[in-house]
Amino acid sequence: MSNDVSRRTFLAGTAAYGTALWALANIPRPRALRAAQESTTPSVLSAEQWRTVEAITGRVIPTDEEPGAVEANCVNFIDKALANEDARAKPLYDAGVAGVDAVSAKRFDAPFHELDADRQDQILADLEAGKAAEWPHAEVPSPLFFETVRAHTVIGFLALPSYGGNRDMAGWKVTKYPGGGHHLGGYSPAQMSGKAKVTTAWDEEI
Amino acid sequence: MSKVEEFDVCVIGTGAGGGVMIQQLTAAGFKVVALQRGPYLKPADFHDDELRTMIRDQVFSADQVETYRYDENSPTETGIFNFMANCVGGTMTHWAAWSWRFLPDDFKVLSTEGAVPGAALADWPVTYDEMEPYYERAEWEFGVSGDANGNPFGSPRKKPYPNPAHPGRVASDRVAAGMRKLGHHPFPTPVAINSRPYGRRSECAYGGSCLGYGCPVGAKATTLSVCIPKALATGNLDLRADTTAREIKVDDQGRARSVVYLDDDGNEHEVRARYVVVSGNAVGTPQLLLMSQSGQFPHGLANSSGLVGRYLTLHHVGAVAFTLDEPSRSVTGLHSHIAMDDFHPSDAKRGFIRGGVIGEANSPVNQPLMFALTTHIGCGERNWGADYKKYLKKFPRSVGLAAVLEDLPMDANRIDLDPEVKDRHGLPAPRITHRQHPNDYAMNRWYTKQMLDIADAAGAVDKWEAQFYTLPTEKSAMKGFMHFHGTCRMGDDPQTSVVDRWCRSHDVKNLWVVDGSVFPTSGGYNPTLTILANAYRVADRFVREAKRQNV
Repeated sequence: MSNDVSRRTFLAGTAAYGTALWALANIPRPRALRAAQESTTPSVLSAEQWRTVEAITGRVIPTDEEPGAVEANCVNFIDKALANEDARAKPLYDAGVAGVDAVSAKRFDAPFHELDADRQDQILADLEAGKAAEWPHAEVPSPLFFETVRAHTVIGFLALPSYGGNRDMAGWKVTKYPGGGHHLGGYSPAQMSGKAKVTTAWDEEI
Repeated sequence: MSKVEEFDVCVIGTGAGGGVMIQQLTAAGFKVVALQRGPYLKPADFHDDELRTMIRDQVFSADQVETYRYDENSPTETGIFNFMANCVGGTMTHWAAWSWRFLPDDFKVLSTEGAVPGAALADWPVTYDEMEPYYERAEWEFGVSGDANGNPFGSPRKKPYPNPAHPGRVASDRVAAGMRKLGHHPFPTPVAINSRPYGRRSECAYGGSCLGYGCPVGAKATTLSVCIPKALATGNLDLRADTTAREIKVDDQGRARSVVYLDDDGNEHEVRARYVVVSGNAVGTPQLLLMSQSGQFPHGLANSSGLVGRYLTLHHVGAVAFTLDEPSRSVTGLHSHIAMDDFHPSDAKRGFIRGGVIGEANSPVNQPLMFALTTHIGCGERNWGADYKKYLKKFPRSVGLAAVLEDLPMDANRIDLDPEVKDRHGLPAPRITHRQHPNDYAMNRWYTKQMLDIADAAGAVDKWEAQFYTLPTEKSAMKGFMHFHGTCRMGDDPQTSVVDRWCRSHDVKNLWVVDGSVFPTSGGYNPTLTILANAYRVADRFVREAKRQNV
């Protein structure tokens, strides 16, 4: 990661991912995203990267009595985004995933996805704060990588399932978001005032 | 370059200002060519895809590029700062449809307040009484729904709203109860959204996504759904979407002669017109005028005053989110059902002058991604892990409040051309230089405190400032927003304004600016109804004078 070409790539990535929202608004423009969305096998992440990213997503939105990012298949959302709209972030993921596993290997002598939740959280908190001494990249800030995966995980959890995450509308079930109101045919005054139930996109009355 | 075509009028921009001009001028028999950045979208193009619409900006601003700096000595950032819609209908296409008349003193801020250090206050050259019939016209054209007797602090009016107020939702019923408990006077937010079929458009489906979204059922009144269909039906409109105006050319007498524009592929075209109307909003209008440099106008067209691009005002918005002990149903209905105007009258004893309006507003809480990513900022909790998941589960009980607040115009706040950053056609990006006046911070803090009190009175379980909108520190600035005003002031003095009281350029006699750019001050209300009303006023005069060959 020390040659000039990589460095320029990462600096460009830094500019694009400075803060979550403005950053994600500045990602390159749409391509044929839907082509990839039926696929749930890796498009651009390697099998090893997939496991590490999936493990990170699982700590961003953990599984409790209700599904979390792993059940929602947020890693698949990220893989498809990196293959399309967010292709500019792929070098950041390549470096960041290698960095996470390097920290994990030095600190616990095991790949990140095999660590228990407490150890994973400890590493992620250090990455978020830029305080992981074992982080191998001077030119790729660990907070930038963490924030990018975090924002991607949240988006994958709650965006339309057709983007590859939010599997079985898991994210919407957790947040009790019924689905797009116009897509569902709108709401009646009785539903607005709470006098009638709302039927969700997964046919539950809430 | 292809053959030069000739029209009576070229209107650049089809939003609130341009759309009304197009409607009125085509109705009067003028042959109009309209240029608009971005596509001509139809109701079927509008849907609830939050990622595509709100996060990735792929629907309304795919090619938008701007730069921002706090002041002349600060570094410049490149991005999308203004929440505008580049499509036929302009930013109105995704507006929340709050439809206010300004108060009489909103047109006379300098006379009302006196000079304020660091601010460039001004009076409008028109009065509320002159505007009143045109407000009425705009309300009836756009089918505003509301209760004309609901706001005891509102402007005087002669006619009621054309449509009855909408029913409420749990969130707004609770907010209204909280406001009443504190002695305030809540009333149904006036909105240009059909509460019954009106103007050949259907009634609202209460799908919950107004702000930021196009209306898939056409119940929301926009120039796209109201003005453009009427104009097309006259046969007098040549609508050219996916075009970018590059330059207004002048003849030897210094009159606007033609408009050069680029099509989607970057090919250059030229249309000749007897009259040119610029309605590109307070960012795009000065950008085009400043790009239109010539030997006669070396500093940009209509800019002998040097004020094109100056006195940019954006409003500053306070926002509060809170949760109830029951489902709020914020995912249903309009953007806003309930508002209050009690604090609007200026009161220097609060530590600031001017004010604004407070409304229940579902944009922070109606769709899960905005709730998860932006509304969370300011709640003070971690944004990942078990606590964050608890936060996400608050979504169905959440309520939003917003205050639309007047910002004071300042000399340093402006739009000019970025010397380095270009758009995809190689045109210079508009550069926003903008910071807040101390009055803005004081007002923002005070209104935010009132909203936190309203949240408590409404029975809030948790409450927090949604810092995406508020100004937490003295160095914070609204880098951009969805309300753009002030960059081509209207006034009677050519030394201190860009256009006259009829929005005609002081310098170029066949050039008009009709959009929020002409606002000398921003008013403490959403601006669109005032842009519409002003456009009807200007169009009436335009038609009268043009038919008498006075322009």
